[in-house]
Amino acid sequence: MTPATLMTLDLLAAVVTAAAWLGSGVAAASRRPRAALAVLGVAILASLTRVGVVVALSGAGWWFVQEKVVVALPLLLVTGVTATVVAVPRLTRAADPQPSVVVALLAAGYAAVGGLAGTLLLGYPATLGSALAITAAVAGATLLTWRIVAGPGRSPRIAIAVTAIAGVAGVGLAFVPPPTMDDGRDQSLTAAMGYHGGGARLAVAGQEPGRPVTSFRGPDSPSPGGVVRRYSLTARTATVTLSSGQKVAAWTFDGKVPGPPITANVGDLIEVRLRNADIASGVTLHWHGYDVPAGEDGVPGLTQEAVMPGQEFVYRFLADRQGTYWYHTHEVSSLGVKMGLYGTLLVGPPPAGVDLALPVHTFAGRTVVGDRDQPLDRQAAPGTPVRLRLINTDDTPHRFTLSGTPYRLSSVDGTDLNGPGELGRVGLRLPAGGRYDLTFTMPADRMVVLRTDDRTTSVRLSPGSSAGAPEEDTAGWPDLDLLRYGTAAPAPISGSSRFDRDFTLVLDRGLALSGGRPMYAYTVGGHAFPSIPTEMVSSGDLVRLTVVNRSRDIHPWHLHGHRVLVLSRDGRSPSGSPLWLDTFDVRPGEVWQVAFRATNPGLWMNHCHNLVHADEGMALHLAYEGVTTPFHGAHGG
Amino acid sequence: MRRVYAVLAGLMMAAVVVQWYLAAVGAFDKPQDSDSFALHGLNGMMVIPVLSLLATIAAAVSKVPGRLIGLTILPLGLIIVQVLIIALGSAFDDSSGNTTPLSLAVLGLHAINGMAIMGVSASVFNQARKLLKAAPEPVAQAS
Repeated sequence: MTPATLMTLDLLAAVVTAAAWLGSGVAAASRRPRAALAVLGVAILASLTRVGVVVALSGAGWWFVQEKVVVALPLLLVTGVTATVVAVPRLTRAADPQPSVVVALLAAGYAAVGGLAGTLLLGYPATLGSALAITAAVAGATLLTWRIVAGPGRSPRIAIAVTAIAGVAGVGLAFVPPPTMDDGRDQSLTAAMGYHGGGARLAVAGQEPGRPVTSFRGPDSPSPGGVVRRYSLTARTATVTLSSGQKVAAWTFDGKVPGPPITANVGDLIEVRLRNADIASGVTLHWHGYDVPAGEDGVPGLTQEAVMPGQEFVYRFLADRQGTYWYHTHEVSSLGVKMGLYGTLLVGPPPAGVDLALPVHTFAGRTVVGDRDQPLDRQAAPGTPVRLRLINTDDTPHRFTLSGTPYRLSSVDGTDLNGPGELGRVGLRLPAGGRYDLTFTMPADRMVVLRTDDRTTSVRLSPGSSAGAPEEDTAGWPDLDLLRYGTAAPAPISGSSRFDRDFTLVLDRGLALSGGRPMYAYTVGGHAFPSIPTEMVSSGDLVRLTVVNRSRDIHPWHLHGHRVLVLSRDGRSPSGSPLWLDTFDVRPGEVWQVAFRATNPGLWMNHCHNLVHADEGMALHLAYEGVTTPFHGAHGG
Repeated sequence: MRRVYAVLAGLMMAAVVVQWYLAAVGAFDKPQDSDSFALHGLNGMMVIPVLSLLATIAAAVSKVPGRLIGLTILPLGLIIVQVLIIALGSAFDDSSGNTTPLSLAVLGLHAINGMAIMGVSASVFNQARKLLKAAPEPVAQAS
């Protein structure tokens, strides 16, 4: 069974466990000893099942079971054994259950509920604070039950006092701020020393003269032989008309959605003057997947201030790598990108034949490719080389299918794959923010059809008027596993490399403080932006990121300024082409290990590219030692 | 103390009514984004649980019947079930994270359980009011 299935099973087992213990207690309270005994049997079985599921889940990694092993199961064990010992002899005598039986059974029920609440509401990791708070809540409920069931008597003052102190201490500990940084050197040491370990490192770094992130800018002139590509983009609100005539109120660059395509050849200097006409919340330009100097990265509050109405900002960077990329605003991006502030960035030389950039976006519930919410029909002479550049500008993955011709997935996130083989009858799952280039030679006798999510026909390429469209049900086609596609080749980094920095990001949902404000957030290591420790690296470091998803949502992980090499998924290395990605989907229950060489000094966002999740906490910074920011740094969404 | 309890029970019921209102606000918000259900989430995850907890403490202190104390904390328990329904429902989403008929069948229970929370908090408020009318502040000195 997959970890995701086990996570679901664990939730179900926890629910049945809680319901059975509580049910047994209620049956005992209503003087039905036989029913209570029968349900108690179910409770014991369910509890043991839950333990079994947790043991199985632990095989996927300690992160998936930490809060269960440390808090939920010990609580359940103590209360469950107590309840069994107290209740079984008395219930088998079928006498009127005594108050002690009722209280013991309900206490086990409260413990089961407490553990479940910890998993659902607090998430990873369980801390001393959360353990104290849950234990105190269970103890408090038990004391109250005793008071109700046994009637007025002498109050157990000491127990009440201890419970109250534990509860207050547990809740209070939640407000202790987390360490401000993680140096990725020694996980156990970092965790044990917390703030002090990181603080000591920062002090040393602080003695060196800091270099502001704003000083890392692009060059003034292109490479020899290159030209300057000047663009001017004005962000403004507009009503755009899709191909069907549907009108959409949008935020646009130059009144168009997507914004004007930015193209260049390797060696050119790209210069983009961004103006803001009337986007009240401000705009920036972030070059998704393009490893520009940090000062050109367009993260408000970190590398620049947001460009407010009437203001402008000039971005300048060298086109040093060809491929398919895109740009988008990074200011309130969860709304801004959704409303249309994005466009394509293509670095050539452009290939011969048909070359289509296809940014896929959802407007008003319609799947829109470019500015079309209807199929794009094009003629292509038989034998013409065709390149389709798929760009997912949404928050969730899209599944593409191409029928009518064999093809190759020749490039992912702008990087060519090694030895990509011919594909047919497969689904291509593209993460939010990711790009796939599909290449093929136009067939003579058939239409080639690109479908999105197995329901929307997006592109129809026809070799002539007589060719028919392939009528195929693509929904049953299996997903291509990128980690097994293409030919293996030596890569500069492998799992056995010696890493200078090693960071683990555990993704979950839970109550967390986001800048002092409590919210039910998308969390990393139990914290929410901007309270997640900043990952510190030095120039030249070899850095490994382990990204663990124990939540129930897909998280497309995106590091700014660096491509990452995939080392493994769920412990298995890729058997196909080396994969250099800037956005990778970490699905529920998955563990990805990726690595990169820290060669682009600056301050960078490291976040979930489901921008709603990023907006609700799932974002952090990766900082090079000695780089400072003159900005407040309080957001970057 | 029973007056405090009745007031807290009333506030809890009002918060649940507001919660339904906010659910509709979120459902009709266009475009759907992170803020669509922000208030619904805030009210449901913070306001109602805290009111349920405070009301339960007030109920225990003012020595109302045990069953009513249990009923007063029940909205908090049912909110855990609300989160659970979303968690289990999303577990049945397809691999793109889109809903499936099965996940929708589970997720729809969120509304049914929400009605249970409404019913329980209304019942709590009614009983708290009845206790207040029957014997205004009977144990104020004792507590």
